Amino acid sequence: MAGEPLRLRPTLPRGNSAQNKGMAERLSLLRRDIAGIAAAPHAAPAGAARARVPLGAARLDSMLAGGLAAGALHEITAAAPGDAPAAAGFVLALAALFAASRKSPLIWIGEDFAGLEQGALYGPGLALHGIDPAHLVLVRTANAKDALWAMEEALKCRTPAVVIGEIYSAKLYDLTASRRLVLAAQKQGTTGLLFFAGPVRAAALSSSAETRFEIRARPSPPQASAGNRIPLPGLAAFDVRIAKARAGPAGFSRNLERDSREKPVSTFSHPALDHDKFHSVFWSHREVLFRDALSLPLATVAGDGQDHPPYRRSA
Amino acid sequence: MALADARAILPDLACCAADEAAEAATLAAIIDWCRRFTPLAALDPPDGAMLDVTGAAHLFGGEDKLLDEIETRLAAQGFAACVALAPTPEAAWALARFGQERLIPEGLRDEDLRRRLGALPLAALRLDDTALAGLAQAGLRRIDDLILRPRAPLAARFGKPLFVRLDALLGRVKTPITPHFEAPAYLAERRFAEPVIQRETIEATILALAQDLASLLARQGEGARQLDVSLFGVDGSVRHLRAGTSRPLRDAIVIARLFREKIEAAANVDERDPLEAGFGFDLVRLAAESVERQDEDQANWLAPAAEEDLADLIDRLGARLGVRRVMRLERADTHWPEFAVTARPFSLSRPERHPHTGHDAQIFAEDALPPRPIRLLQKPEPIEAIASVPDGPPIRFRWRRVLHDIAAIEGPERIAPEWWKHRALTRDYFRAEDSEGRRFWLYREGLYETETARPRWFMHGLFA
Repeated sequence: MAGEPLRLRPTLPRGNSAQNKGMAERLSLLRRDIAGIAAAPHAAPAGAARARVPLGAARLDSMLAGGLAAGALHEITAAAPGDAPAAAGFVLALAALFAASRKSPLIWIGEDFAGLEQGALYGPGLALHGIDPAHLVLVRTANAKDALWAMEEALKCRTPAVVIGEIYSAKLYDLTASRRLVLAAQKQGTTGLLFFAGPVRAAALSSSAETRFEIRARPSPPQASAGNRIPLPGLAAFDVRIAKARAGPAGFSRNLERDSREKPVSTFSHPALDHDKFHSVFWSHREVLFRDALSLPLATVAGDGQDHPPYRRSA
Repeated sequence: MALADARAILPDLACCAADEAAEAATLAAIIDWCRRFTPLAALDPPDGAMLDVTGAAHLFGGEDKLLDEIETRLAAQGFAACVALAPTPEAAWALARFGQERLIPEGLRDEDLRRRLGALPLAALRLDDTALAGLAQAGLRRIDDLILRPRAPLAARFGKPLFVRLDALLGRVKTPITPHFEAPAYLAERRFAEPVIQRETIEATILALAQDLASLLARQGEGARQLDVSLFGVDGSVRHLRAGTSRPLRDAIVIARLFREKIEAAANVDERDPLEAGFGFDLVRLAAESVERQDEDQANWLAPAAEEDLADLIDRLGARLGVRRVMRLERADTHWPEFAVTARPFSLSRPERHPHTGHDAQIFAEDALPPRPIRLLQKPEPIEAIASVPDGPPIRFRWRRVLHDIAAIEGPERIAPEWWKHRALTRDYFRAEDSEGRRFWLYREGLYETETARPRWFMHGLFA
């Protein structure tokens, strides 16, 4: 300890030139570091944040440049108030996608009012939707402020596979609030899904989320019932509109400017024409994948009376 | 003395009805406050507090100084207190109420103790009125009168308790006190010459205390499960912050963060003064109220332990939002839909284990369940439904003022009530999809003609 200043001394008396040279070198190093940081504005730690989880439906995946980014924030709204259950189903399906690869907990943070309006999550139904209720942590909060806080705290955690926030109105949710969530998600590479259970229009939102979905319920593929005129309901189906995708082929959004740095990867159809349309997808909880409504062979639909396992009769 | 007699003597006598509940509450608050002197404070109803200050007196500069401090502090709060300290609880009780002196030091010889206590009246033995009157009739008035007398005849006449009390008073029999609060296993505290008011100071103090506590716990290989921060105000009020943990914990920073969430939650209610600091706190104490064995884990360099990460998150959410708001789903052993799953507080529940594999996964998914909705309404909501026949599936229904035409339907799934538990009617559940693709779980209550003449319809859940 005491020897340290002595060792430094020989370099000091050599005059200013040597000192300046060292300083210049250090400055140039620092400049290079800063340039490196500036070049990658969202320099998230290693591959985790960059990974993308494919949805399975080719049209959606192509618009999302291969899938939904992990370690990012995605928003989901319902097209109409009556579509909120469908949107919740879509959120849970996305959560199942993220949770499928690892055995980590899912955290569902819900505002009390949203739970009153739409009902509480029901374990057996979740199991049939592709989510293991044993891995679910439910958090109820009194208001949206607490819900956003809890979501941020949970996103700062490395463990959860996905953190889902359900808030009724977007009154408290602004650019700052979304930025906080995005930063928390990027830092640990945990994915956040924010679901608006109330009447929130996707076009009215302005945030720094990665993706924004608008969901509408869709009639399921008809399944003929035996001798009955009315058919049976089939697989869960959704109409999905991608209202915003930062990292799409051309990165589009209704509210934000285009991000032209990324090259278009595939041109399934022109994104500018495509992004405002609803795409029909089915959720197959067995495979834990979405399927394009068009790509689903009709025969499978008709014969697939087994989207729920057969009843087990107990004595 | 009757009130009328008292008023005859002193006409402007102030008088009000006794509020026993309020008195008991005040006494309990005083006991809580007394814990600043020792963790072992006992309630001595109706009007006393008993403190075990063994080994604590020197912290306050000796027994005499301790008595002074208690007296002045209580006087400052507006309580007139008689304090006394003695080697036995019984003797302290007697001195406080009947004694001339207030301090009998520890380690006196038997004769000295007898000489000092001998002059006290027999009421100091906490005897009931009839026994006292009887002893007075026999000419026995002071403790001295009893000590040297043969015991058998007196015990035969006045009962055993007389000499049990006497022995306890003289320290021949040890009597324990029953602390009102359980003494914490570990505690750390800071005393301030000047009271602290600012939230930042208090949070920093809690962190420093957590570090002290953590090293105490580490030495014993234990971790805290229940933590308590006591803030002793200069005005005599005591404020407690409690936090539970879901795993044994001895990480100072995590402990401090738990309490920061607690304070933050209080700040949401009262922005300016979340801790109701008033004139400030002059003693901050952090206690581990319950502890569990915690072995030192070997640190994993590659990935920090995932379970700890989650447990800390759950504790933090619980500290801020309330423990009951962080839940996990547990399956119940019933087929009745609304009881089949319950959400229980995370900290109170343990993950279900699979009966064969021992893993805690796939408990729900394994059973082949008939269709179940992803969301269940808190209460089934009555709907108006039209069916072609009374026991057939519905054609259209109105729920929350919106009319839905059914395009696809599956059912009925008949669920009979658990008649051994509750009275209810049989339900016929249908999974219905309306023309817009929205899917519902609805039921008809009551079997037509066997159970009811007019079955009612309810909406119970929503599918994706």
